[in-house]
Amino acid sequence: MQKQINYFILFIGCWLCLSSCDEKVEAARHLQEIPVLFPDYTEVTVPASVAPLNFTLEGEFSKIDVVVEGERGSRIHVQHGKEICFPLKAWRNMLEENKGGKLMVHVSVKRDGQWWQYTPFPIYVSEFPVDYGLVYRRIAPGYEVYSKMGIYERNLSDFRERPLIENTLVSGCVNCHSFPMGDPSRMSLHIRGDHGGTVLTSGGSAEVYHTKTDQTLASCVYPYWHPSGKYIAYSVNETQQVFHSFQHKRVEVVDWDSDVVIYNVETQELFSCPQLKAPDRMETFPAFSPDGQTLYFCSAEVKQLPAEYDQIRYSLCSIGFDPATGRFSEQVDTLVSAADLNKSVSFPRPSYDGTYLMYTLSDYGNFSIWHPESDLWLMDLATGETRALDEVNSDNVDSYHSWSSNSRWFVFSSRRIDGLYTRPYLASIDEQGKISKPFLLPQEHTHYYENSFYSFNIPEFVTGPVQLDPREVEHKALSKERKSFTYKN
Amino acid sequence: MEKNTLYKEFGLTFLLGGCIFLFFGWLYPFHLVYQEQYQLFLFTSDYLAETVGRPGGMVNYLGRFITQFFYFPWIGAALVALLLVFLQREMAGIMKRFRNSSVCLPLSCIPSLFYWVLLCDENMMPGGIFALLLVLAGALVYFSLPSVKVRGIYGVVMIPALYWFTGGAFLIFVGLSLCWEIQVKKESGKWVWSMLAAFLLISLLLPLAAKLWLVQYPLSKLWTGAEYYRFRHIFPNVIPLVWMMVVLIPVVSRYLPEKSAKQGGVWFTGLVVLLFGCTGYLVYTNADFRKEEVMRYDYYARHRQWSKIIAYADQKTPDAPLSVACLNLALAKEGILGERMFSYFQNGPEGLMPSFLIDFTVPMTTNEIYYHLGFINISKRFVFEAMESIPDFQKSARAVKRLAEANLIMGEYAVAAKYLKILQQTWVYRKWATHALTVLGDDERIEAHPEWGMLRKYRLQQDFLFSEQEKDMMLGLLLQQDYTNRMAFDYLMAYTLLTKNLPHFQPYFRLGEPLTLQGIPKAYQEALIYIWGLTNNDPSRSIPYPISSTVKSRVEAYRKIYTTYPNPEPMLKSQFSDTYWYYYHFRK
Repeated sequence: MQKQINYFILFIGCWLCLSSCDEKVEAARHLQEIPVLFPDYTEVTVPASVAPLNFTLEGEFSKIDVVVEGERGSRIHVQHGKEICFPLKAWRNMLEENKGGKLMVHVSVKRDGQWWQYTPFPIYVSEFPVDYGLVYRRIAPGYEVYSKMGIYERNLSDFRERPLIENTLVSGCVNCHSFPMGDPSRMSLHIRGDHGGTVLTSGGSAEVYHTKTDQTLASCVYPYWHPSGKYIAYSVNETQQVFHSFQHKRVEVVDWDSDVVIYNVETQELFSCPQLKAPDRMETFPAFSPDGQTLYFCSAEVKQLPAEYDQIRYSLCSIGFDPATGRFSEQVDTLVSAADLNKSVSFPRPSYDGTYLMYTLSDYGNFSIWHPESDLWLMDLATGETRALDEVNSDNVDSYHSWSSNSRWFVFSSRRIDGLYTRPYLASIDEQGKISKPFLLPQEHTHYYENSFYSFNIPEFVTGPVQLDPREVEHKALSKERKSFTYKN
Repeated sequence: MEKNTLYKEFGLTFLLGGCIFLFFGWLYPFHLVYQEQYQLFLFTSDYLAETVGRPGGMVNYLGRFITQFFYFPWIGAALVALLLVFLQREMAGIMKRFRNSSVCLPLSCIPSLFYWVLLCDENMMPGGIFALLLVLAGALVYFSLPSVKVRGIYGVVMIPALYWFTGGAFLIFVGLSLCWEIQVKKESGKWVWSMLAAFLLISLLLPLAAKLWLVQYPLSKLWTGAEYYRFRHIFPNVIPLVWMMVVLIPVVSRYLPEKSAKQGGVWFTGLVVLLFGCTGYLVYTNADFRKEEVMRYDYYARHRQWSKIIAYADQKTPDAPLSVACLNLALAKEGILGERMFSYFQNGPEGLMPSFLIDFTVPMTTNEIYYHLGFINISKRFVFEAMESIPDFQKSARAVKRLAEANLIMGEYAVAAKYLKILQQTWVYRKWATHALTVLGDDERIEAHPEWGMLRKYRLQQDFLFSEQEKDMMLGLLLQQDYTNRMAFDYLMAYTLLTKNLPHFQPYFRLGEPLTLQGIPKAYQEALIYIWGLTNNDPSRSIPYPISSTVKSRVEAYRKIYTTYPNPEPMLKSQFSDTYWYYYHFRK
């Protein structure tokens, strides 16, 4: 009996050993093509601190074998039946060693008992560091109603995601999160619904404000911090949604009216100027230049609504701003004219080094996330030249974008995978303005995006873990007391 | 165990299980299928991790696991009966630890009977039964441990575990342990008091700890934990009442007087009759058979069982707007909407195309109407919004299936593939999803599909914005795009009739000329002759439409009564309630 038990244990041991051992890739036939991966990480440029670029292959197979070789040494070999997940520590070491260089990825796949070896492809490791993480809103791409959603922080160097605030805690929609140049200690965040208000944080403590005043159209949205941290530019929008009947469009979010206002954090006062609240125009999406001397914004002629919803086109404008006095210049400059292009600008975002301004261009309107034709464009602020970012644009929506604190990386939301669910992509830009192929934010498992019912909206870089106590926000949001913004004429 | 007691035990269990099974399988099956459609149970580790990653998550998971089988109502009824029988058996086991006597046996049915009543509410989640089963199992193990020290250690481990698995129901375990130690074991040493104090302290700290370090929920929610009720902000008072019963019944049972064998039999029978009688009354008063009827219509519409809808309406004409909407959809699908719509109660335009509501029920049903009409984008919106409105933040298998179908029809294959691959991870929809994936990207096969192909043909080629106030315009545009869409024509006519928009009836009717109708349906004839009569003295002779002699003679009879009697409504109702004229004059 003992002998039989020993044989059984030996059998189990051998089986476990064999099943866990990698199979040797033998007699592989070569394919003169690079593999089709999901996510597509072929020939991308990544920061050295990025989490492992785990991937799988399109199509049927029984095994994938991947060898990654750094041009400055080190090697990782992974084999699996479904997906390639790189060990975190080895991955980190390899990227650190090969910073400024490249990795060659050798992919073999076993189909019907035969190994096939693809042409190796490179992954470039940038010498430019990227910020600590991203903050985004996860929400289903619905129409008016939302289920569970929240604002989440994702560490870019691993797969950890932390909820900053979820609507399980404070019922209502949480949105419009913004940080001054990625500073995690200061944040503006909006809560809609019964317990609505705007949350402003500073050094970990939060205050909830009522931002609608008698002189403004609505509550403050679309925040953008002044580099000094003293001001926040908001727009106040009267917004409605309408719904398409035609197949390739769903939702149209239309502003009936909008103005741009500035909030002085120290005096808790809002102010504006006639140029930013012209009665015959709608102004929205404000953004300060990194020197704080200019305010960029989008501006469109008021139209007859809803009949002319598809005739609203926003120009990209700028106006001078004196941070010391809080005064605006008289003149408004039009940097990109909607009339000239017959297109509409949204989300102007200057790089923090003052070199570029990135914006989204769509056929009309300002809610480009629902416009499949939306693309990213880049303006050289020194020359005024502007061009489509063909290196990163896709056939589907490419919309919201944000710069890393060193202006060498940008993240943008795209619906290129399935046309509906928004995913965050990162790309780099070097000193010469060369832009790399974008890569999808890596996840621990490759089926993550396929199984997720969420869109990742408004991705913003942060330079460290966000300082926010959700219990304090809950307590203050649930209390009826609100500090109020006042309007200074 | 005595043979007599054995008979009593099994007889009682059998009676309980049988009653519950028959009730849910025979009288209340559509409440079960209703539950199933508002969840999407996936056999994936991610779904498991996401669901169990909060206090009470495990019983949510188990409840959802069971609920997926409610797609088949008889299986669902059997599972509910089985769970409540298990609960009764566990309860009986607990009670024996307090007092081993068959006198108390019928009392062990009370939690199960109570939960039966609770489940008559379609928003009561089955996870609550698992919470009771788990805590009672934990208590049974506790009672079986010989030493007070072992019990203490076990309790300290089990209380957090049960809190995590069941949410607030862990308090039952704490309550039973305390009562058993004090009442049955009569332990009084320092150790036992320290142990009980530790139990209470841990119980108090657990929700606070969860709040501080683990999850983002209000503290009140962390005390209750699991989703016992679909509306996450509501925790019905009856739930803690059941919990209290579970603790108090064994305690009280110790004080019941012992009975002789003969007295015991009478007592047992009397108690069973009393309990089941009271439960019957409570089930009768708590069961909502009007909702059951709406759910039945919705179920038939969802499964395209048009003839069943009409047959059921023939037995009892529906009057709830959603039921009427399903009936009208069935009539249209069978091509007899214009012929028979006024043979049934009509609820105005809301009984034809209900308005959008931010709600998880109405848009779910209404999506069927838009889908079958060919308004695929609107159907998608309604079903997506219904799914997003589910109060406990679950997704909906029915909605995901419809979204997959809609995207297949529209040729949006990437997003259709996403939904289909998700459905492949379910038990009920796996086969359908796998089949649907085979046609992905294959336009020829989709166009050859009897339903998808037809709806693809109907889909809109020009864009317009959805308007609740201009449904007739939308239907007209849909019809003009494809004149084989007979349903669009019938809905346009029906909508115009139900909104009493007589000035537009004739122009809209003429829109349908390319349809080559085989005779004008009765309701349209009635409208046409009525409208003609408003401007012509002898409509029967001069009307340029082929109106049947029956309609002509009836309109004449109707006119006479209507113009002769000061209060003609009762007489007209008895003779003409199946006509458009009666609807036009007397229905609001």
